[in-house]
Amino acid sequence: MKKLLSLMIALCLMAMPLTGLAQEEKVVNILSWYGYIDDVTLTEFEEDTGIKVIWSPMESIDDMLTKMTQGASGYDLIITSDYSLDILRQAGLLQKLDKSLLPNYENLNPQYLSQYYDPENEYVIPHVAGCPLIIYDPEAVPFEITSYEDLWRPELADSVVVMDSARILLGITLKTMGYGMNETDPDLLKQAQEKMMSLYPNILAFGDLESVTAMETKEASVGFMFTPFVYMVKSLYPDYQVVYPTEGLGYGIDGYVIPSNAENVENAHALLNYMMQPAIAARNAEAQMYMCVNQAATGYLSSQYVNDPVMNVDPELVAQAEFILNVGETETLYNELYTTFKLQ
Amino acid sequence: MKKRSAGSIIFLSIVLVVLYLPIVVVVVYSFNANTARIPLAFTGWSTHWYHELFFGRNQIGQALLLSLNVAFWSVLISSVIGTLGAIGMAQRTLNEKRKSSRMDTVMESLAVLPIMIPEIILGLAFLVLFNAAGFQGNELRLILAHTTFCIPYVFLTVKSQLVGMDTALFDAARDLGASPFRVLLDITLPLCRPAIISGAFLALAMSLDDFVISFFVYGAGQGTLPILIYSSVKVGVSPQINALCTLMIGLVFTLVAFGRYISSLRSVQRKYVSARS
Repeated sequence: MKKLLSLMIALCLMAMPLTGLAQEEKVVNILSWYGYIDDVTLTEFEEDTGIKVIWSPMESIDDMLTKMTQGASGYDLIITSDYSLDILRQAGLLQKLDKSLLPNYENLNPQYLSQYYDPENEYVIPHVAGCPLIIYDPEAVPFEITSYEDLWRPELADSVVVMDSARILLGITLKTMGYGMNETDPDLLKQAQEKMMSLYPNILAFGDLESVTAMETKEASVGFMFTPFVYMVKSLYPDYQVVYPTEGLGYGIDGYVIPSNAENVENAHALLNYMMQPAIAARNAEAQMYMCVNQAATGYLSSQYVNDPVMNVDPELVAQAEFILNVGETETLYNELYTTFKLQ
Repeated sequence: MKKRSAGSIIFLSIVLVVLYLPIVVVVVYSFNANTARIPLAFTGWSTHWYHELFFGRNQIGQALLLSLNVAFWSVLISSVIGTLGAIGMAQRTLNEKRKSSRMDTVMESLAVLPIMIPEIILGLAFLVLFNAAGFQGNELRLILAHTTFCIPYVFLTVKSQLVGMDTALFDAARDLGASPFRVLLDITLPLCRPAIISGAFLALAMSLDDFVISFFVYGAGQGTLPILIYSSVKVGVSPQINALCTLMIGLVFTLVAFGRYISSLRSVQRKYVSARS
């Protein structure tokens, strides 16, 4: 018992110097989902610049927002999604980028710049972008799917998998009714929920991992999923059809921002500039399986990636695609309606 | 031993399968050769993920170390505080042979409050408090928060052990001339030992397991292992985690087996000694 105890103490003492050392090095501290920049890129960045990357893992956007609005500090970069970028900016929690430290900025594709969360391009560097799409097995589905509306057809009983998202699922239901994805009228949302109720018998599973699993095992024949998961299924079954629904696409961009209380601002810029190099940006997009936001990277992308319908969405469709916006208080109503839908 | 009926054997095997199949899957998949981002199919045996775990660029090792470090210190501190608190509370009611006052009830509820209120509220409270106090040390913040919710586990187990105890033992010791401190060291603490140990293990499990409070409390930098794993869900949890779990399961099994071996040696010794006398 004593030996075990002393062993544990020794282990703990060993852990102490690790944290002490990190403070003297040049570091950049990133707050985001763990793995959102691949390990190879991070290792190369550390070797090339001598800046150590510390990854502060975050679990969800909501948790991150709570932390930041409560005044958490110590982060040099945050990678998060469009609507939360807007919330952070409007709360005054971000600092402006120093473009003189970002010569690679011109490599970015203007299609992904000047978005509503940063109209003057002062705060945000895009990381990845994506449109949730429908993918289906033409052998198992007796008709051609062209729209969200088709997901409601009775032939698809128990064969559709979808992402687990109140905003997006209610959003596409609103779209089938001819409205936008960010409606705030409670009566309209209730109507949408009623319509969504009749989709329930068709749904086999909710969730990203659940969806991919069901598609890979062919338990499900239709999936409405986020970009990387559609890409995974398409890579596995090249004869599957990817659908750009006729009602219009949803859209999302994840971007980097520097919090106003960041301590290693220069190192953060160094990482941003590094990530915008064409070859690195191409590898990043392929590793994360999202649309590439870097124009200069096009030549470095693999042909499989470039020719994939998931990554190669018509820019005109993307231009008309709709972001999920921050709807404030109505968010609660969305979640309530969605929960009752799931519990039916 | 009584002979088991076929029904009980079937029931037992179903329970065992349900309990241990997930663990077996974790172990098997840690040797999966499939390197896809979400590796579902088992494509062959390989030690790739173990190699990645030890030599690849990842923060899993540091996260584990941080988790163990935090768990160790918070369990140690909360065991001391929880035990002393329980003994103090028990003595108020036991030694003085009186009914528990309203004050006792209030104090007891306060002591177990950290596990009664929702985790997320406790986490937020810590976040606000630490930020207001300008507390930056990542580990210190985690240790303080974990100590807070670990104390009730030790307190409750030790308290329930003490309540069922014969007060004559303490009175006898005092009667024979032991000082109150001596009674604590020689009578109370040894009698409480099993409760302290089980309370401490419970607290250890809670500390290692905690996600919600840790997430809010941990400052910039390294997160604990549960935070790292939850955070990987968006991009895909690497089978390196399976490899790590396999190693931890192996370690726990070895420790338990070792403990059993030691205690069996002791009981043999005891039988031998008692047979001789």
